[in-house]
Amino acid sequence: MFKQIMKDKYASAALIILVIMYLMVLFADFIAPYSKDFADRNQSYAPPSKVFVIDENGRFSRPYTYNYKREYIPELYQTVYTLDRSQKYYINLFNRGEEYKFLGVFKTSRHLFGVENSGRLYILGTDINGRDVFSRLLFGGRISLTIGFLSLFILFPIGLIYGGISGYFGGVVDMLMMRFAEAVMAIPSFYLLIILAAILPSNMTSTQRFTLIVVILALIGWSGFARVVRGMVLSIKNEEFVLAAKTIGASRLRIILKHILPQTSSYVIIAMTLSVPSYILAESGLSFLGLGIQQPDASWGNMLKEAQEYINILYRPWLLTPGFLIFIAVLSFNLIGDTIRDILDPKGQIRE
Amino acid sequence: MNILKYILKRIVQVIPLLFIVSIISFFIIRLSPIDPLAELRLNPSISQETLQKETQRLGLDKPIPVQYVKWASAFVKGDLGITSSGEKVSDKLKERIPNTLLLTSIVIFMTWIVGIPLGILGAMFHKSQFDRLLTIFSSIGMAIPSFFFAILLLIFAVKTSLFPVGGLTSFDFDEMSLGGKVLDLARHLVLPVTVLFTISLAGLQRQMRANMLEVMESDYVKFARAKGLSEFKVIFKHALRNALNPMITLLGFEFAGLLSGAALTEYVFQYPGLGRLILEAVMKSDINLVMASLMMGSIMLVLGNLIADILLIITDPRIRN
Amino acid sequence: MKKALYFIIITGIVILILSFCLHKDTSSYDTEIKCNACDTVEKYPLNKIFPNPKTVTIKGTDYLQSQLPVGEFGGRLITSTIGEGPKTFNPFTAKDATSSQMAGMMYDGLVTSNPVTGEVTPKLADSIKIDGNNYIIKLRHGIKWSDGKPITADDVMFTWKDIVFAGLGNTSVRDSILVDGKLPQIKKLDNYTVVFTVPKPFAPFLRQLTTPIAPKHWFTSIPDWEKSFDRILASTVKPDDIVYSGAFHLKKYVPAQRVIFERNPDYYEINLKNQKLPYLNQVVYLIVGDLNNEILKFEAKEIDTIGLRGSTVARYKAKESQSDYAIYNLGADTGTMFLAINLNNRKNEKNKPYVSPNKQKWFSDINFRTAIDYAIDRESLVTNIAQGLAVPLFTSESLNGIYLNKNIKGHKRDLNIARKYLAKSGFRLKNNILYDKYGNKVEFDLYTNAGNTERESIGVMIKQDLADLGITVNFKPIEFNTLVNKLTNSYDWDMSIMGLTGSPLEPHNGKNVWASNGTLHLFNQRPVGYQIDDRLVWEKELDNIFEQGALKLNFADRKKYYDRYQEIVYNQRPIVYLYSPTRIVAIRRKFKNVYPTTLSGILYNIEEIWIEK
Repeated sequence: MFKQIMKDKYASAALIILVIMYLMVLFADFIAPYSKDFADRNQSYAPPSKVFVIDENGRFSRPYTYNYKREYIPELYQTVYTLDRSQKYYINLFNRGEEYKFLGVFKTSRHLFGVENSGRLYILGTDINGRDVFSRLLFGGRISLTIGFLSLFILFPIGLIYGGISGYFGGVVDMLMMRFAEAVMAIPSFYLLIILAAILPSNMTSTQRFTLIVVILALIGWSGFARVVRGMVLSIKNEEFVLAAKTIGASRLRIILKHILPQTSSYVIIAMTLSVPSYILAESGLSFLGLGIQQPDASWGNMLKEAQEYINILYRPWLLTPGFLIFIAVLSFNLIGDTIRDILDPKGQIRE
Repeated sequence: MNILKYILKRIVQVIPLLFIVSIISFFIIRLSPIDPLAELRLNPSISQETLQKETQRLGLDKPIPVQYVKWASAFVKGDLGITSSGEKVSDKLKERIPNTLLLTSIVIFMTWIVGIPLGILGAMFHKSQFDRLLTIFSSIGMAIPSFFFAILLLIFAVKTSLFPVGGLTSFDFDEMSLGGKVLDLARHLVLPVTVLFTISLAGLQRQMRANMLEVMESDYVKFARAKGLSEFKVIFKHALRNALNPMITLLGFEFAGLLSGAALTEYVFQYPGLGRLILEAVMKSDINLVMASLMMGSIMLVLGNLIADILLIITDPRIRN
Repeated sequence: MKKALYFIIITGIVILILSFCLHKDTSSYDTEIKCNACDTVEKYPLNKIFPNPKTVTIKGTDYLQSQLPVGEFGGRLITSTIGEGPKTFNPFTAKDATSSQMAGMMYDGLVTSNPVTGEVTPKLADSIKIDGNNYIIKLRHGIKWSDGKPITADDVMFTWKDIVFAGLGNTSVRDSILVDGKLPQIKKLDNYTVVFTVPKPFAPFLRQLTTPIAPKHWFTSIPDWEKSFDRILASTVKPDDIVYSGAFHLKKYVPAQRVIFERNPDYYEINLKNQKLPYLNQVVYLIVGDLNNEILKFEAKEIDTIGLRGSTVARYKAKESQSDYAIYNLGADTGTMFLAINLNNRKNEKNKPYVSPNKQKWFSDINFRTAIDYAIDRESLVTNIAQGLAVPLFTSESLNGIYLNKNIKGHKRDLNIARKYLAKSGFRLKNNILYDKYGNKVEFDLYTNAGNTERESIGVMIKQDLADLGITVNFKPIEFNTLVNKLTNSYDWDMSIMGLTGSPLEPHNGKNVWASNGTLHLFNQRPVGYQIDDRLVWEKELDNIFEQGALKLNFADRKKYYDRYQEIVYNQRPIVYLYSPTRIVAIRRKFKNVYPTTLSGILYNIEEIWIEK
């Protein structure tokens, strides 16, 4: 399948982009010059650092940057950043910065690039608290790019088993289970999402909150999925190989798990790739409303919340970057999903 | 007769469904730690007595099942209760539902007008460069976060002053002539419709394309081709009708999707619709209001599906059996 | 061949990105600060002083005469209200600011506050005489309700006796004039004279006379009006039915979109040419969801006036000279931003302490609280979060308050002083982590309401500020409702960042916060009906101050009490004040007779504002 994906130029480009994104997010501690909480309060809303390769004498030089000096002009009510030319900060590869645990294993303080401690390198500017937007994008990506996947890993087993049982047993069980699933489906999903998010207990650590949001996202999607699985199970359960398993005396659970559910795998794969993007979007929508991931944690959605202010869009366009990253990630998933669908289901028989 | 029986059966099925919906939603909301009186509590000039009065009025001092029974029996009688600020819920819904219906029906209309032909084209030129491009464009539309797109469009509106900044009508709407009113509404609707249209077009186009492809593979289309009919006739006389039938089912779902999808867009554009209402109500834990709008949303959704089913029976006799 | 093409495209893109990121070091990157408008900036206090209207009698009618320049009639002013719009137009049931404001457009009170000094001045009343505990109020002769019926003492009696004292609707006014559980007496002397008698001298009473007066004949014409009081003037009211006294009346309410008010053709205020005010034909409030949408509407010229905040001010200031609006800096606002510390040392019904005993020890330690205060960097909060548009705050009264204690000067951030205070109570630093004298690590939760970017940013900064002392702060923005529940109900919080709008004119309104049994006594909230007297020494003193301060009538006498209360709060620091935002307003220049003040804002004299054509 991988080869087939690579054959399609859009899908292969999308795959490469996604792989790069996930790698960057995985190695965020190393790639990001700062940690997600590092804040220089004298640099709130600082514009992206200017990186120079030709120095003031017109000669090529190692890339360097200047710090920004902040001034407040009371008459204009304006904060202005000017280049502080008193010292050049050369950009170093494998720069020594804040200490962190590389992949959670060993301690190191080397970052892919950076400037020495008194210098500041903000390649995408800073937010209101003077935190590096680039670094936060990487750490925020960890949440935004994984939340969808994690919910799917909860949702799909639930949907599969629920749909499997309902379809296999039929009768009253089927009726009751499906009525319940339909009731959940009958609540407009985004409404249900915000209600669930709004009732999250408040005194949670950020990990707990993250987990619960994953669970909530999963709670929204399982019913529709379970219904489709049930439909498929209904048609599969009278096939010969199932009947054969029955006559051998296999247990019902075994039949469902071993014989019936594997038959739905094409559908599951397609549905999974095609639903990851909707979960990324759902997370960003929630965080945008302030119901999702909370400060000081970063996610692309809550970073974008800051960007919605008119003034920020006009004067601090770097705050919009999370929006473009969401767009690119979702687009890539969609393109790959389409291609996988074409490969596994060329006639378009599987429907959601 | 059969049709009537089926419709009746479906309607009867809807009732327990709504009952379960109401129980699920009520308990979710009431189990939340949110205090519906929070805003009042934090107002220094509101006294204890006023707070107690409010608690009693909203029935917050009773156990949750009692509150549910109270709410449900009133709901069945058509009394939706009052909001936490003392207004009638039914009045609030009456203001909002038409606006939401206006927005969603325009969007559905637009997506069908554009999406169906594009779906047919996609199927006709299956696997061609053109088909591929269509897919990519629809993917792009699906990938933009709706609220982000909405914000960018708002800025566009401000910068060009071509469109008003959010809302549904201008302040001098009542003084306008009929033509002026229509124009004013249209100007306000352009941006939200654009956002929702972009998002929902893709799904419809894909579905139509898939249906067309399936139908074109079917025996009777092959037979029609074999008869020597022109490709144009094959598609428009035989394939199209059969490919459109399943789309009617989708109508119900699309309506549901829009109902949810519109919430964020309504919020950014300050559009006075159901989505924004429920968002504000949830934030304040205004139980009656949330419950009523959830139920309205669910009823609209279920009704949408019901109508789609009925339409389907009428157009496609095969289903009746 | 194809591969080569891809290679070229990709290298092209990479070069493009690099050339965008990498620069040549030239002086063109040095921003020059342009300040052509700097010298024309209007400094506050504004040089225009608002003249109070006077009473003139023409043909037996006591008109109120505006002393401002005469203007032209016609036109409309469009402004905005943030939130969901009014919930009612009934001034007596309104519980939120927007509803009260809208109701206030239609119903005048007996008196009003001078927008500059805050003094009580007559409105519907012609004069007020204070004679000991008696307030003798003379009404204007000849002024009418919108349906032509005269406004008389009966209406005043009805409003106060049958609505306010009877406890209909929002009982806040009634509660705030209770002295020792007793209400004032009210008596009608003749058709145009009413006398209020308070049981004891009670200063806050006078300002409560700003309460709107209701039309008796209209209210009582509604069947069963007392029972259906909530429904009188509800948001669904038919505008044509309303009987009103104010300068404007409701023309149309389009929910979630706008409220349109139209001119009262027979208002009792006139201009110097004896023409009846108001000048404007219509006042329109657009209902906008949030600050951001409001700014967009102002930018798109959909609204005429706006309160500006943060970095938006810089944008509009820079464009002011080429634009059609003027910007006024009105100085510090009535709003206060603060950090509250939970001093609660009680237990809940299950005998579990609300705050864990370790934390209780820290929070009830004045040295600890003082250290926190000294560790907070207010200057940075002001420059970063408020973009310079705020003033560091150390007092509980807002900076424009007339009872502000000007002797409290505050201090700068000083970690050394903070550390000294900590050391006094035996706190020790080990590996940059603070431990109390029993060896417990100092760590607590800091809450604020999620979704408020300003408060979330403050939380992030305070977390860092306290980290410099070795304190671990778990900053948790939570849902507004949940936070309020914690503060007023479950008391399970440590510190929280909040904001309240104070009253710059009447410190007694803060009683709910400062009295030990107040409903908003956040930092040491007691449950309703709590009987045990476990007040701290200074809480007792505050109780006493708020009781006594209200009984003195003379401003200077009262000020002594309220100065002392601010001193106590500053010394004890149960609430650490952070800053007050600066109030900056913009209004299109075509509007004349605009006299913005820090106390009342910009539209308080809406009936005198006119449009220059």
